[in-house]
Formats: sequence, C-alpha cells, structure tokens
Amino acid sequence: MNSVLLECRDLVKVFPGVRALDGVGLRLTAGSVHALLGENGAGKSTLIKVLTGVHAPDGGTLAWEGEPVQLRSPLEATRTGIGVVHQERNLIPGFSVAENITLQKPPSRRGLVDYAAMTEPAAGCLTELGVDLAPDRPVRELSVAQQQLVEIAKALYTESRVLLLDEPTASLSPEETERLFEVIRRLAERGACVVFVSHKLEEVFAVCDTVTVLRDGKSVLESSPLADHSHDDIVSLMVGRAHAATELHPRPVDRSAAPALELDGVATAGGHRDISLAVRPGEIVGLYGLVGAGRSELVKAVLGLGRITAGEVRVHGRTARISSPRQALHEFGIGYVTENRKEEGVFLEQPIVRNITVTVWRRLARAFGFVPARKERETAQGLVERLGIRIAGLAQNAGELSGGNQQKVSLAKWLAADTRLLVIDEPTVGVDVRTKRAFHELIWELAHDGLPILLISSDLAEMVTLADRIVVMTDHRVRGEVDNDRDYDRMSGRIIRLIHDRDAVRS
Amino acid sequence: MSTLLDQQGRAAEVLRRFSRTTAAMLLLVVVAGSVALEVASSGSFLEGPSVRVFLQYLATPILIGLAQMVALCVGQLNLAVGALGGFTACLTGVLMADHGVPAVIAVLVGLLTATAVGLVTGIVIVATQINGFIVTLATMTILLGAQYRLVGTRTVDGYSPTLRDLGTAAPLDTPLVFVTAIVAAGLLGAFMYRTVAGRRLLAAGGNPLAARLSGISTDRQIVLAHTLSGLLVGVAAVTATASLPGVNHSVGGDWLLPSFAAPIIGGVALTGGSIAVFGTVLAAFVTRLIDAARAQFSLDPSWVNLLIGLVVLGTVAGGHLHQTRLAKSASSEASPQPEGAR
Repeated sequence: MNSVLLECRDLVKVFPGVRALDGVGLRLTAGSVHALLGENGAGKSTLIKVLTGVHAPDGGTLAWEGEPVQLRSPLEATRTGIGVVHQERNLIPGFSVAENITLQKPPSRRGLVDYAAMTEPAAGCLTELGVDLAPDRPVRELSVAQQQLVEIAKALYTESRVLLLDEPTASLSPEETERLFEVIRRLAERGACVVFVSHKLEEVFAVCDTVTVLRDGKSVLESSPLADHSHDDIVSLMVGRAHAATELHPRPVDRSAAPALELDGVATAGGHRDISLAVRPGEIVGLYGLVGAGRSELVKAVLGLGRITAGEVRVHGRTARISSPRQALHEFGIGYVTENRKEEGVFLEQPIVRNITVTVWRRLARAFGFVPARKERETAQGLVERLGIRIAGLAQNAGELSGGNQQKVSLAKWLAADTRLLVIDEPTVGVDVRTKRAFHELIWELAHDGLPILLISSDLAEMVTLADRIVVMTDHRVRGEVDNDRDYDRMSGRIIRLIHDRDAVRS
Repeated sequence: MSTLLDQQGRAAEVLRRFSRTTAAMLLLVVVAGSVALEVASSGSFLEGPSVRVFLQYLATPILIGLAQMVALCVGQLNLAVGALGGFTACLTGVLMADHGVPAVIAVLVGLLTATAVGLVTGIVIVATQINGFIVTLATMTILLGAQYRLVGTRTVDGYSPTLRDLGTAAPLDTPLVFVTAIVAAGLLGAFMYRTVAGRRLLAAGGNPLAARLSGISTDRQIVLAHTLSGLLVGVAAVTATASLPGVNHSVGGDWLLPSFAAPIIGGVALTGGSIAVFGTVLAAFVTRLIDAARAQFSLDPSWVNLLIGLVVLGTVAGGHLHQTRLAKSASSEASPQPEGAR
C-alpha cells in the first residue's frame, strides 16, 4: 500500500445562496491516478480551488502526509507540493519553454535571472516526462497539447507531488490524448498522485485507478478502486437517483399542434451535423447531454451567433435565417435564458429594473425615445412579484442578488418582452434545492400557459421532472429522442444507453 | 402623517446614498476649495469679474470631459478629443474669416464635421475590429495635420463680431459659454439616464455579451458613442472659437489630459458601463479651482499639472479602496445567511 499524500475530510464551502461543498472527503495516495467526477455544479471546481489555496474552506480538515495543513494561498499550495494545470492555459506566450517552466522560481545569481542555469533543470523536467521539446522555443509557437505538457513540466519543476489536471483532454486529438496518458502514467510511477478531472468516462477508465464522485457538493463515492465499478454505476452515481422526479400537476400537450420551432437537418460551422428537432406550443422539450455535447452552441447558432451551414430552421412556421439575437427577439420573439448568468445573463452593475426592462425599452418609450420611469418600474415590479424575486428594491444593482435571484431576473426580461419561444439553458446550476423547486414550477407554469420551451440541462433529474420529450445529444449530434414517462429509473436507463451506444461505436 | 414620515425617511435614504458617492466628495472639495480661495484672496475670488472669468474657462473642460465620458461608457476611449476640437475650431474660424461664410452656417458646418468624424471613427472601429485606441490615435494624427494645413502658423481672428459677442457675453456674471456647457451636460444626462438609446449604451458598455444576447447591437452602440463624442467635441470647439481672441494651430493641444481627468475624477469606470455627468462637471470644476489657486498664489504653472495628476491618482486609488471595502462588507453580510434560510 502506498502512502497517503493529501487527505481531506468533511470539507464545507459556502457561497452566498449555495453550499458548493457540503461534506467532501478525498484521499490521494502516492503512485495513483485519481479520477474526480461529477456533473456541472457538483462542486469539482470549488474542490480544486480549495485544494490549490484559492478558496479557504468553511469547515473540514486537510492533512498533508498525515500532518494537518492549511493552504491559505496558491503559493502555499505550491510550496506544499500541490500543482494544478487549469483548463485555460496559464503560460506567458512571449517567454521560452524554459522561462515558463522555471517561472515561479527562476535560477538567479546576485538578483539577476541566470539564463544559462535555466535550460538544464527545464530540460531535465521535460526528459523526465519523456517529452521532446527544445527549452529555448517560444511558447507561442507550440501547439495546445505541447503547451499543456509545458504546464505539467512546470508543476514538476516546483516538485509537485499532487498534480491536478482539470479537463486536460478537452482540446486534444486522440493521439495527443494517448501521449498525455503516457506522461500521466509515468508521473504516477515516479510516486506522484495525478488527479484527473474529465467528463469523458472512457478516458477515465483508460488511465485512472481510483475514483471519487461528487454530486450536489457531497462525495457520493470516495477514493474507491475504479476496478470495482462499472461504467453504468459511475454514471448513475454522477446523475443521482436520490432526488428523483418531483411531482408537478399534469399538463396536457397537444402533439398535433404546429411546431413553434423546427430544426430540419441543421449543420453548423461549429461542427453540428444533421440536427432535427421540434418544439410545439405548451411543450417542454429537453435537450440532454454531457458538457461539451454542443447544446448551447447549437442554440447560439440558431440565434445568429454561429453560422448555420446546412438544413433549415423554421420558427412559427416561417423559414428563419437569423443573423443576430436582436433579430431573433424582435422578428421571431425568441428569448434565451443563458447558462452563465453573470457573464451573459445580467448587467451586474445596473439596477434590477433596467435588467428586466432591457428588452422592452423601445416599446415603453415615448417621444424622443424617453422611457417613462413609472411604466418601467410597473413592468419590472409586476415580474418581480410574479417570479417571487427577493430584492431590497428595484434600484438595487443586480450584482448584489444571490445566484438564484439573478437567474430569475435574467428570465424576467424575456417574460417582459412577451417572447413566443423560450430557450432555457441550465437554469438551476449552482442554486439551492428550494430555489430549484420554485424554478421548476415556474417553467412548468409557463408551458402550461402555452409557451413552447426548449430546456437544456445536464441534470437528469431535472429533465425527467420537466421535459415532455428528451432529445439526447453527444458530440454535436442527436443520438435519439425519448418520450418522458416520468419514471426516473426507466428514463435514466434509456438515456444512458443512448449515450453509451455512441461510446461503443467510437471505441 | 405617516406619508410625511415616509417622505422624510426616503429623503434621508437618498441623502445617505448620495453622501457615499464620488459626486458628494467632489462637491465638498468644490465648496471647501472655493471658501479657501475666498479667504486667501481676502474676498476678491467671489466677486463678479473673477467669477465670470472662472466660469468662462470652465466650459471647455466640462464639454471635453463629457465627450470622453461618452466614449468611456461603452468601454472605448477617444484620443482625438483635442485634435478634433482644434481642427473644428480652426475650420469654423477659417470659414468665417477667409471665406466670408455667415457665423450660423460656419457653426453648423463645424458641429456637423465633428459629428461626422466621430461617426466615421466609430464605423472604422466596428468594421475593422481594430482597437479604438489605435484608430483614434490615427484620427488624432490625421486631424492635427489637417488643422495645421488649415491655419499653418498664423492666428485667425477678426471673424464674426456677433459670435464673439455671444462668446464673451455674461448676463448676471454667468458666461453664455458656461451656460452652453451646463445645458449640454443636462441634455446628455437626460439622454443617458432616460432614453432607450442612452440605456443601450450603458448596457453594451457594462456587459457586451449580455447586451448582445438581450437583443442589443453592441456595434451600433460603439458607433453611436463615438458620434456623440464627436458632437460634444464640436460644441466645445464652437464655444472655444466664440470665446477665444482667435484660433490657431495650438487650440486643442492641451485638451487630451483634462478630457480624461474630469470623468476619471468624477467617478466613471474605465471598464465601461458607467457614467457620471454631475461628477464629471464637478471634477472639471475642481481642476479649474486648482488653476485659479495657481493664479491666486502666483505659483509656477507646472504645479497645476502636478496637482491634477495627484488628484487623479488619489481619486482612483481612493475609489478602489472604497470598492474593496464595500465588497468585503457586502460579502460578510451575505455569507452567514444562505438564500434558503431567508
């Protein structure tokens, strides 16, 4: 049995409005490759941030080689021996490979950087990884995969014994991925522990030996040998059976009605091929898939933020060639509640009233484009009450609200505009259970009133609760469609099979 | 009775909020500075003629500060403020003095030209996707050349007496050029805070991605901001032409830095999405006070730039500290009660 490097117990991290970590345990042993799995919002990134000293935990303990340890800053984490390679590259493009590798602790003589003494340790790190790269090459000339290897070499240089790799294969080709796996195995042989975060289960099974699964901020499977679990086990642990479909009163859907949105053999410049689906008035159609399946990108292409290269989009029976979200809203009445509310959904430094009425200023405006303040407030107030948004006052800035309430504000602006088709993208990521429940009821009510809704979600329970039909997407393609009978076990089984069939085809 | 109490409560709340703003701090500086100068000058600072001169030279800093503010609010900047102002002033002067064009027409041509240059700048930025810094740097250089081409080394004067009279008129010791600047500020404030177009500018500057997804064309907002910036520079140029003894190649040469100083001291975020019309006007006032103090104490002119520089640094650093403190107190208030508990 190998020695334990880092162990954490009962980690808790609370953000306003949500318990991002709610009792997470993890044991990282020397010489192992440890998979860290979980859906979006399960707490993986928060856990990584706690382990690398970015966030201080609100509860729980951390121990390094059996000794209690506190990681108060990323520098302390590095000194302890924990390195991380983030999804986004963190290299300095104008510097050479050697300069980047030795960046945190450049060899120096009398306060001046010693360039001659830099090449040797950098080259040593690269050789140890079995990577053939000239240390004097500027990083900007390197491919994404090579840059990633430089980042790993950088972690090696600082003598990291625990190395966290966050979605390292997201932008790698199969050959590059295989080379990365060799490097990972080599690191483990040297006695390091590599933590591998990925959504691609086949890769996890190819390279990892231990697994931890997070769900809703809890570790539902803790540092367990991967060989004891099947593919299906892991997926059901990730998506969870515990809080299965909540009951909502029955809602009739007219399947014979003309579709409000129809995609017919659509292909996009973003790589989507042959996508067909339809959403009818009063119907909630779920678009399910794991992260990276291309669901948000598909919607953005339909809204004119990407290029559609083939096929046809019809909205309310009319052929729609939409070139901007502006046109989508004003001509076709399409609203899009975005996934990243802080970046794309709300104006954090603007008052709530403006955030809600941004879509209807033109309609409210009087002569010379002046917007009457009273009418604007009334419009916003009505929606604040209807959606139960908790605010101190309409003049409060949206940035001061909790995540759930921000999400409601970003939904409210589309309701203000009387949209005739609504796309809702991951509505409940990072919101607590009560707000989630309220959101589900809200979406349900909107559909009940006849609004066609396309719902994107990676939360299978949410899909089974809300959707009338579920379209399953992987790899920018539609893999199939299931009628939802709201039986969670049966639905999750069928959906997971649809996702797996494609894995079988690929491997 | 309760409504009266309500009103008092609301007024107190408004006052409390205002007391924390940059504008409140600047107002304090303006009052304290004026009083100090009044005392130091043994009562001559607040007399009619000196007030008139003070306000006369306040018009330009206010207008160019507003012109820069409009560009900043969409996350852009306008380096051509001074060059465009100088070029427009010279164009107006030359049209009147050399070509005998009536003042009304010359002024209109000046305003239209400045607006058109702003419009073209905006279109170039949007069409080429080149950074606004570089584009306005280029227009600045082009306009400096054009200004020199127009007037060379001579000073154009002796144009339209009517315009000059208007430029120096000061009923009740309030110069008309200052009134023009204040009216422009008022109109701009109403435009930015109350109209659809103004709000779209702020939305696009605050969060371009969210604005696009909410059906706002960010490209149009950038073009509009530069056009408006050009128009305001045009107004500044016309007031300068009217109030200066003559125009030459040096007009506008010292406008660029004050155009940034006023909005930055006034509380405008360099990242876009915020404006402060009142703050910008007050900040222009403060920089003018520093200038007046120099004259009062016969200090070396270099002191003015030094002081303005220090004030800019001080307000930016102070504002940053204030924000950090606010953020900290907000998060410590928010964290003990997660949403579900409320």
